[in-house]
Amino acid sequence: MRDFDWSVVGRSGDLLMAGTRLTLGLFVGSLLLATVLGLILALMRLSPVAPFRWFAATYVWILRGIPVFVTLLFAFFVARDLPGLGWLTPIWAGVLGLGVDAAAYKAEIIRAGIMAVDPGQYEASEALGITKAHYMRRIIIPQSIRVMVPTYMSNSILLLKATSVAVGIGLVELTGITRQLSNSTFRPIELFTAAAIIYLTLTTVLVLLQEFLERRFALKT
Amino acid sequence: MDWELVWDSVPAIWKGAKFTITLTAWSLLFGTAGALALALMRLSHVKALRWFAAGFGWLFRGIPLLILLFFAFFALPDLRVGPIDGVLLEPFQAAVLALSFWTAAYQAEVIRSGIIAVDPGQAEASEALGMTKAHYMRRIIIPQGIRIMVPPYIGNSMTLLKQTSLTTLVTVPEMTLLTQRLFSNDFQFRERIAALAILYLALTTVFIIAQQVMERAFRLKV
Repeated sequence: MRDFDWSVVGRSGDLLMAGTRLTLGLFVGSLLLATVLGLILALMRLSPVAPFRWFAATYVWILRGIPVFVTLLFAFFVARDLPGLGWLTPIWAGVLGLGVDAAAYKAEIIRAGIMAVDPGQYEASEALGITKAHYMRRIIIPQSIRVMVPTYMSNSILLLKATSVAVGIGLVELTGITRQLSNSTFRPIELFTAAAIIYLTLTTVLVLLQEFLERRFALKT
Repeated sequence: MDWELVWDSVPAIWKGAKFTITLTAWSLLFGTAGALALALMRLSHVKALRWFAAGFGWLFRGIPLLILLFFAFFALPDLRVGPIDGVLLEPFQAAVLALSFWTAAYQAEVIRSGIIAVDPGQAEASEALGMTKAHYMRRIIIPQGIRIMVPPYIGNSMTLLKQTSLTTLVTVPEMTLLTQRLFSNDFQFRERIAALAILYLALTTVFIIAQQVMERAFRLKV
């Protein structure tokens, strides 16, 4: 019979918080990258230029078809040797791998959102002589945001959890630090439970944010 | 890129596909059974069952799969609660356990929304004909719900297949672990990882094709 010793969680508090900070850093960095890349890919997918459409479709097929772990391995071991990426530190490799992977999903979400806007809006904009770049930015995308919020947010929750995979390339974010602490203190139950509670708190905050945004962007009728 | 080395890596990495595929199959089997139970609990009249299923979903969808894997592998051997006195699992067993819980939580949502999407008139008509709930769920509602469930169910199953790559970190010798072994010997990162990506892409593309075939098979014939 072995008793639980929850004090180990308190004693590890600083390290767990440092891990949580890196988790959040990876999350925010990769979310920004994924959103920008995803928007570009979605616009390419909807472009009249066939090679743009093919490129975006192939990107989505490949990145959605391979595990995020494999993308991270690529970002960590291979991307550094690519031209212009010599500065890639392990943490930035993590941001790059997670972001490039999530971009494929964000692209599909943004594309679906744009396609959900009534085509009459395009026609009306064109009838008013607005250029495509202008009406996409001012008319179509603002309206599509409402449609995207739920899927964008639930995908972002998946991304937050996916940051844990960065432990596979040696980053000591929350999951990594928890594994190290568990190995050194022999208190896996207490520490993994603590990590689970931190993740649950973060994901629950995102769920609440999603509900807030859905209400905020709801049509006022 | 040395394409010859990429193709030479394929057979060695493919040996791990045995685990990738069996992990997916077992977790899908246990996970789907669990998901069906959870979905029915979520739709039950009994409040305690509804709460349990909702809590299960919140918990297992709120925690990264990797934490579940580490818990199953590192923490269960230490667990001593009542009659349970330390559960030491083989890496493969720990992986199936964690992946099954994860699958159950996600597929439960798919099954639940499929059932909800069936016209309530079908349940009412079944009751008017004097069928018991267990009977009409099994014979009327679920068969119709399956059509709605197919695309997200297969999508989740494809995600599951990709997630088996994480079992590398609890030392299951599947494709990703074998790849890491290869490139830590010869430092041919680019070619080895490219070969791994091609194999995953081939396996997940099978899922995409299966999805299209099943969607056609379950389409309403009018």
